[in-house]
This record gives sequence, structure tokens and C-alpha cells, in this order.
Amino acid sequence: MLKPERLGLLTVALILVVLLPLGNLLPPSSPLHVSNFTLNLFGKFLTYAILALGLDLLWGYAGVLSLGHGVFFGLGAYAMGMHLMLEIGSKSVYQSALPDFMVWNQVKELPLFWRPFYSAPFTLVAIVVVPALFALVFGFLAFRSRVRGVYLSIITQALALSAWLVFNRNEMNLGGTNGLADFKTVFGIPLNQPSTQRMLYVVTALTLVAAWALCRWITQSRAGKVLVAIRDSETRVLFSGYSPASYKLFVFVVSAALAGVAGALYAPQVGIITPAKMGVLPSIEMVVWVAAGGRGTLIGAVLGAIGVNWIQSWLTTSYPDVWLLFLGALFMSVVLFIPDGVVGALSRLAQRLRRRPAPRVEAPQLERATDSTA
Amino acid sequence: MSDAIVYLEDVTVAYEGFKALDRLNFYMDRRELRVVIGPNGAGKTTLLDVISGRVKPEHGRVIFGRSTDLTTLSENQIAALGIGRKFQTPSVFVNLTVWENVELSLRRPSKGVLSTLFDRDGAGERDRIGATLGTVGLGPKADALAGALSHGERQWLEIGMVMAQDPELLLVDEPVAGLTDEETARTGELLVDIARDRSVLVIEHDMEFVRQIARTVTVLHQGAVLCEGPREQVQSDPRVLEVYLGQRKETHAVR
Repeated sequence: MLKPERLGLLTVALILVVLLPLGNLLPPSSPLHVSNFTLNLFGKFLTYAILALGLDLLWGYAGVLSLGHGVFFGLGAYAMGMHLMLEIGSKSVYQSALPDFMVWNQVKELPLFWRPFYSAPFTLVAIVVVPALFALVFGFLAFRSRVRGVYLSIITQALALSAWLVFNRNEMNLGGTNGLADFKTVFGIPLNQPSTQRMLYVVTALTLVAAWALCRWITQSRAGKVLVAIRDSETRVLFSGYSPASYKLFVFVVSAALAGVAGALYAPQVGIITPAKMGVLPSIEMVVWVAAGGRGTLIGAVLGAIGVNWIQSWLTTSYPDVWLLFLGALFMSVVLFIPDGVVGALSRLAQRLRRRPAPRVEAPQLERATDSTA
Repeated sequence: MSDAIVYLEDVTVAYEGFKALDRLNFYMDRRELRVVIGPNGAGKTTLLDVISGRVKPEHGRVIFGRSTDLTTLSENQIAALGIGRKFQTPSVFVNLTVWENVELSLRRPSKGVLSTLFDRDGAGERDRIGATLGTVGLGPKADALAGALSHGERQWLEIGMVMAQDPELLLVDEPVAGLTDEETARTGELLVDIARDRSVLVIEHDMEFVRQIARTVTVLHQGAVLCEGPREQVQSDPRVLEVYLGQRKETHAVR
């Protein structure tokens, strides 16, 4: 790796992991003070960044464009949310041991599939294993039948749509349209304390660093080269003795697990999880983060997730009408002018300054698939 | 028969009624360089597809070595057995370096996800990659991205990649399409050299090139073997002349 890149990475990590929570500890009068609101906002952005890393591994490296990662994010968030709901216990509005929405829906006893979520260790395992298992089954069927390219993107989008429809139903006993909310404590610690939010932020930031290290390790291994090779020529990979389906399934499952972890960190920090977070639109927005930041660079996915959402939170409060226009314009201009994203454009610029010829960028063919769906 | 590298018996492949291969029998010896020619639609590429597992025949047997039946195996399993395939349009990994292209192609005990995640460079690996690049003349470009290579260089890289698989049998589909005369001659030398200790099956249209490399020629016509034998003999066979001349007349008529 080149030195300026390493420096950039360290700076980003330092700001996110150390400086932001430290700034939160400073008194509000200090110019470097980071408000509770801002820290919480960034905590949410960092969960998105964890998801974006997995998506980049899948799309940027292996060339598999998933338009359904909101589902895996949602599964992780719901698994965590179920535990948080059960933690509320009888402190709820209806003062019943059941979650409020069940009382409202006249459910008399806790459904069987909710019970294991009383256990914190089970929940911690479930937030990884549930999305991973789901991705394993779905991916196995899709990749085994050699569904690829645009067709795979379309069935992942169908997956997002059906998950959204299913989770919206009250009969699912998952809170229907309103989802899960009103969490009071996380593993016994009250959520309304700034210190808890700060702790959650630090856990999220450290998880992001660990997720980055995992993705980095995968991409630097020979398996990472096989992933890039699959993007370039799946047939050649097949005839070189590798099974592309196994490799794609592997990254699909890894990225789903990362999405699940991201969702689980999202739920207690934002305080609510609804089916709206796992539908078609949020899933496409996730792809936009990665495209804008720069595919196949890992750090681009992180910066894209934080950057786009930061702009979103600013625009939706100051100019709520233009946000969707901006998102569309952003994606169009990335596809048209910087197909390799901000990070890709920057590294090309740096290379030009060093008077070295830029590497040829052969964009994956899936470009068109995304701009027609977005 | 014990010395056969590949043996096709009564193989039929049909696409929606059209028989690409029609009860084809084909047999090749170890360390043989065989050239398969034939007019368009004779079933040449389908023959390679059947051997490499891309197409499953609806009828017949495909035996590799002594007794391995290829019809039940997937493409990557067949590649792992020692059958390498070079495609007509060069297919290389454009976003990886020339070195990495060969590195991924090397024959290994396992090419599963876990072993590629944890494997580190083996001791002899660098030498093998270096030697392969030397053979195909791409040593100086080892660190270049494969996407930056010319068409001819990509052809050689792909040949190098297939060689790195250390196959017993190489399937080569029109290796000189789109190459200059000089590149064609070099590719011919390369193939003859490879065939010293491997079996090579080449499909070719370019008769000049066939003259350069061919020892034994098989002529396919309408999915079956029309005739087979030493090059000179095949070239003067009246049936072959008829097939090719007939073909020529038709194309002239169309024009």
C-alpha cells in the first residue's frame, strides 16, 4: 500500500474512533465539543459503513450487485430489537410482560420464536447467524442455478420487496408497520443516558474497524484475487478449476453477516426498527453509498456511507424537498463522470500528479442494471 | 486403447433439434498434437465444450485417461483433473496483474474458498510462475495489469495460464484469430513446444497455421468425423475437398 493512502486510513480511523467520542466528553462551551445528537448521528452512519463494507466486498470485488441488503440489515436489527423489547418487560405502557404491540393486537402469550431472545448470548449469536443462514440458503439456490448479473440483482430486489411485505404484516408478531421501538435498556444499561450512547458509539466504531480488517484480510488473500477474477471473467475462473458459485456464496454470506451486525448496532442507537428500513428503496440507497464512495476500495464504501448520509441529514433538515433530487443527481453523476467513485477519482488524480499512467478502469457491466433501477 | 488421453463414444449434442454433434466418435493419444478443422457449424467448438464440461451430451460417453467419465463432472472439476481450455476470444483477468493471472491458474491440491483464504505463497510457486511467464514471453510485463496488454499478448497470457494449470490435455480454440503473421508463427512454435510433453487439441480455421503445426488432422462435418489422418493425406482427400470447395461455392454465391 502507498504511504498517503495509509496516512488517510489512519486519519479516518483516528477521527472516528478516538476524536469524536473525546469531543463528546468536552464541555459544551468548547469549540471542539461534539453534541450528543451529532455523536448519535455518527453512530448511525458508522453502522451503515459496516454494511457498506460487506456490500463493497460483494459488489466491488466479486461484481455481484445485491439490491436486497436491507433485508439482512433488517434481520440483524429485528433480532436485536426483539431482545430489547423483551428487556422492557412490564415497564411498558400497558405494563404487561408482553411487548406493547402484542397487547394491542390481543396476543395472549409470547410467540415461541420470541422466547430465545430473552437470552442475551443467544441474541448476540442470532444477529450474525440469522442473516448469514438466510443468505446461505438464498445464495445457495441462486448461485447454484447460475443466476448472475442483472438477474441476480432483480431477484435480490424481489427478496427486499417480499421481506418488506412480510414484516409489515401484524400476523408476523413483529410489530407490523410500526416495527419495534421504545427500547429502555440494552443488556441492562439504560439507553437514555449519554454515557450509554457514547459506549454504543465506541462499540460501533470498533466493530467498523474490525469489519474493515476482516474485509481487508479477505481481499488481500488469494481468495480476494479470485473474487476480482470472478468479476473480470467468471468463465475463465471456472475453467481454471475454481467454483465461482462457492466464492460468491462465501462473500454473500459474509456481507449478509456484516449487514446483520450493522442492523443490530443500529437498533439501540436509533431506538426504532421498522420494515421501512429493509425494503427496496433503502437497499438501493445502500448501493449508492458504495458507488459514490468508490467500489472495490473498502475505504470508499466507508466514506461513501458516512458522506452520503451526512449530506442527507443536512439536506433533509435544511432543504427537505431537494433530498431525493440530490440522491438521483448524485448517482447519475457518479455513474456518468466518476464510475470508480470519489476514492477512485482521487487515486487517479494522485497518480496523474505522480506522472504515472492511470490503470485502465474496466467498469463491471452491472452499471446499467443499477441506473435503470435507481 | 490404454494409451488414450480422451475418448468420445457415440456422442450426440442437440440444440433444439439441430444436432451439433451426431454420434461422434473421437479418440486422441497421449502426447499427441491434433488439429480439428471443418466448415462453420461442423461441431468443432461443441467438441471442446463436451470435453471441458460446458455442454452435457444427451447421448454417449466421454472418457478421460483410463476410465474417468467426464459427463457427470462440472467444469471446475474437469479443470482440476488436468484438462485446460483456451478460449477463442482471449479471456484473462483484466483487473489483475499478469503475474496474478498466472498465480491464480497454477495447479493446486485445492482451489476451495478456505484454502485460498489461508494459503500463503508456496516455495516453488514463484519459480513456476516466473518460468511460465518466460515461456510465453511475458516476463517483462509481469507487474502490468492484464487489461493493458495487446490482443496478441492476451492470447499468450491465456496460453500461459492454461499451461500453469499443468494440464495433461490442452484444448485450444482458434488461437491465432486476429493475430499478425509474426504473432501467428510464434503461437505455432509455442503450441508445438507445449505438445512435447502434453496432449494438445487445437481447433483452427487458418490453413496456413494448420500447415505449420499439424501432424494429424481430423475433419469434422455436420457433427461427425469426415476423415482423419496425416495432414497431407487429409488435404488431398476428395471428400474434404468437396466439403470445403462446396462451402466456398456457397459463400461465393451468397456474395
